[in-house]
Amino acid sequence: MASVLSFKNVSKHYTRGKENVAVLDHFNLEIAEGDFVAIMGPSGSGKTTLLNLIGGLDRPSTGELTVAGERLDQLSGSGLSRWRARHVGFIFQFYNLMPTLSAERNVELPLLLTSLSAGERKRKVAAALELVGLSDRGKHKPGEMSGGQQQRVAIARALIADPTILICDEPTGDLDRHTAEEILGLLQMLNRQYGKSIILVTHDPKAAGYASRQLHVDKGQLLDAPMAAA
Amino acid sequence: MKYLPLIWSGISRNPGRTLLIFFQIAIAFALFGVLQGMKTGVDEAIAQTRADLLLVFPEFFGGAPLPIAYLDRLQSMAGVKTVTFADGLLGTYQKPDQSVYVLAIAPGDIWLTLVPEIFKVLPRDLEALRKTRTGVLMSEDIAKKYGWRIGDRIPLTSTTLQSNGAGNWIFEIVGTFTAHEPGSGGYIVMNYAYLDEARVKNRGTVRNFYVVASDPRQASAVAEAIDRTFVNSSTETKTASLRESAQQQMQAIGDLNFVIRLIVTAVLVAVLFSTSTMMMQTIRERTPELAVLKTLGFTDRAVFLLVVAEATTVCIAAALIGLAFAMVVFPYAAKFVPGLSMPIVVVEAGVVGAFLVALISAALPASRAARLEVVDALAGR
Repeated sequence: MASVLSFKNVSKHYTRGKENVAVLDHFNLEIAEGDFVAIMGPSGSGKTTLLNLIGGLDRPSTGELTVAGERLDQLSGSGLSRWRARHVGFIFQFYNLMPTLSAERNVELPLLLTSLSAGERKRKVAAALELVGLSDRGKHKPGEMSGGQQQRVAIARALIADPTILICDEPTGDLDRHTAEEILGLLQMLNRQYGKSIILVTHDPKAAGYASRQLHVDKGQLLDAPMAAA
Repeated sequence: MKYLPLIWSGISRNPGRTLLIFFQIAIAFALFGVLQGMKTGVDEAIAQTRADLLLVFPEFFGGAPLPIAYLDRLQSMAGVKTVTFADGLLGTYQKPDQSVYVLAIAPGDIWLTLVPEIFKVLPRDLEALRKTRTGVLMSEDIAKKYGWRIGDRIPLTSTTLQSNGAGNWIFEIVGTFTAHEPGSGGYIVMNYAYLDEARVKNRGTVRNFYVVASDPRQASAVAEAIDRTFVNSSTETKTASLRESAQQQMQAIGDLNFVIRLIVTAVLVAVLFSTSTMMMQTIRERTPELAVLKTLGFTDRAVFLLVVAEATTVCIAAALIGLAFAMVVFPYAAKFVPGLSMPIVVVEAGVVGAFLVALISAALPASRAARLEVVDALAGR
């Protein structure tokens, strides 16, 4: 199966004052298209840095990073923005919805960057909300919804532009057990029925259990085999 | 248009703060509209006054009136096209506090075109005045004020005594005229012949002459020539064009232009700072939201333009409200300075000014929003 993501000797350093901190050190990883991968590791292990690199929010200091067929280490700032719009859907721990926009308008945001007509955008939004089971909540604002519903809206927003890869940063970290299972079930459905490639960062082993593959990261190093299992 | 909900979401993020800024800008531009309208209105009113019309008054205010004999000499001077004159009396109608000024003219056709921007009369009304020695023309304002109608006989009491010693003057209303500015038509117009024949004092004199120069470009020279002609006469003259008189009246108030510019500048600078402060606060509060927009694929430029669009929307909407208020209020303010108007160029300047205020005040916050590091913003740094 084709690779959706490839790290080749990727290192990432940050400068903190006079100190140069290596967060990732010669990191190698490949993830196949359609895979659902959970990345686990203690705080400071480099999980978030990995997500930021995969999502094109940051660039590696050295090495080659290819995601969805694009060398991210060679793209400019605006190039990364355009790439993200086409290929990445983000789902955050605290949803990060616009509080003054309705669910429909929140979900529609990624489509504003396309050339779709208002009618087409409206149809896609309706379809996305139906997929996550929130067709009747489209006009409600985030403040009028439960945490689980807000996360579903965030998932709908992440999916609406049909991205190549979904990136989930502790998506159930703010939810109760029951709601968390619903959300993880939804992600699993998206992967199994729609073939979405999903990268999930989590502390929760139960959440990681929903993924088809689990990776462990510590001190900027991958503790598992870098290549996807055949 | 598709970005309007997103722009609105930013504006309505903190409705209380947005409303405060909105009112501040609206008030600032209402003030701008009224002040700038006064300045522009005054400039336009002066520019529209006739440059070829000269007013000939006695050299010394309150001194002896001008002999009507000057009329022929004025008419025969080089560069003079036509001449007429005016005088008047002040009377009261029914009660001592109901003053009525009576302008006395020789009702020739010259009055049809002499100062239409101040006094407009139809040929039939002028003819009616010519035919009736004791006739008067009235304005709509004074008709409404006293309930007069054409055909009424109105008695006025005046300190200008008639030769029989009485101060009672009886007039017959024979027509109407239009005063250019409503509210300024508190007078009536009579035949000079009636005034001069009946009064006991100042017979054969007039308050002033109106001289129309053949060439407006030569008006100044004609004015000087008139004053030179009468410099050694019993009553010396002081002649100025209508436009010059208007300018002198404005200069007597002081440097109005400078004061207005100072006030308008101070107000707009204050608005600039407060709008910029509001935008900075807004950006700080919305850091995570702006970071999320960037994760969705909004470029730095798009985020910059979004912030500028929010500031521009608030500024222009508020400015339009303020300018509309100024346009409504201005006619009342103009009652104190007749002849003023608020030309549309002031509204256009106001909108441009609002746009510039928005751009300048949003520049720094928008730049900060555009340069936002997504990784740091999402991590809460």
